[in-house]
Amino acid sequence: MEQEQNQVNVKKWRWGINRWWVLLFIVLSIITSRIFPPVQPHIQIAAEHLSKSPILNTPLLGEVYFTNTMVAMFIVDLILIGIVFSVNRAVKSGKLVPSGISGALEAMLEVIYNLTESTAGKWARTIFPFFAIITLTVLITNWMELIPGVDNIGILHESDEGHPIGEIAPGIWTVLPGEPEGQGYQIIPFIRVTSTDLNFTIALALVSVIMTQIIGVRAVGPAYFKKYWNTSTFFKKPVFGLIDFAVGLLELISEFAKILSFSFRLFGNIFAGTVMLFIIGTLIPVMAQSAFLGLEFFVGLIQAIVFGMLTMVFMAMATQSHGSHDDEGH
Amino acid sequence: MEGDIVAAAKLIGAGLAMIGTIGAGAGVGIVVNGAVQGMARNPDASGTVLTNMILGIAFAEAIAIYCLVVALLILFVF
Repeated sequence: MEQEQNQVNVKKWRWGINRWWVLLFIVLSIITSRIFPPVQPHIQIAAEHLSKSPILNTPLLGEVYFTNTMVAMFIVDLILIGIVFSVNRAVKSGKLVPSGISGALEAMLEVIYNLTESTAGKWARTIFPFFAIITLTVLITNWMELIPGVDNIGILHESDEGHPIGEIAPGIWTVLPGEPEGQGYQIIPFIRVTSTDLNFTIALALVSVIMTQIIGVRAVGPAYFKKYWNTSTFFKKPVFGLIDFAVGLLELISEFAKILSFSFRLFGNIFAGTVMLFIIGTLIPVMAQSAFLGLEFFVGLIQAIVFGMLTMVFMAMATQSHGSHDDEGH
Repeated sequence: MEGDIVAAAKLIGAGLAMIGTIGAGAGVGIVVNGAVQGMARNPDASGTVLTNMILGIAFAEAIAIYCLVVALLILFVF
């Protein structure tokens, strides 16, 4: 019944009119790519500095600059706070069936909660917030790369490997392909997707892994650390005790490997995605990028779900007791 | 640019680093093979199988992403 109601409310895609808009944009992109041919942007792994001088200078962290990934993070935070307020308003309005953003969020959180409950059982209420907020944050962060203007509007910066510049409108300049005669310039974008900054992904991975240990200790108590330093069977069974001990040490190493794999998985996927979008946009300026934007839509979604789900599964595994194998937890 | 052996070595090195994705590709294939067979035999369990399949794919894919990160580091950092 809900589906029927939705179909009535959904505005029909006006194919007769909209196809002329699509054609207009295709023709416009052909014309603009003829007049101002796209330039392959300078690609660097570290986030570009927007401020000339460091905003923080601490002995432990070194010089901290204001980078363009920070701008993107602030925008993500604003969107998250906006979602919070819209959901709050929907809850206070007293309607039983929320609509719009809050409705979509309810559907998403319900799926996430059911998944958590089926995996973690009674610890679902502890683990669910981490799963939900990591998925939401990473999802919004990843999808920012689909917005036009991210990664290509910015300030011109003098550079040795730069390009010549031309004025397209009063006060607005663009880089042109070719070798510069005098000073070359490069664009430093105002906004760059936060997931392409290793600091963000490592911070999320650290939160995930450290909270896994804390939840494990809360669930099992000090016996949780027997998982890493297992000497209980060391003297009882001569050979297998040694093997158990070695397995515990391997578990300890795998916790550090988790931080690496969490952070590099998200960073690698999204950074490779942006580089691919740059290169496709340079090689084939018309139409081709649309297909890859569709691909990046799914990559961003899947990476967000995978990051959240792996966190949830590791936390659920940490809540189960380890040393004994007499099937009490199942 | 003629005779720039460092740039050539960078490109070759990045290409060689991506050889590691062979294993990840085979791994993802094996995971999906098992999962689809399981779902075909027991359609009721397809929800849990799908969840575990995505987890397995993510683990296998992580290795490919390490290769990709190494290749990107060679190309753009060093």
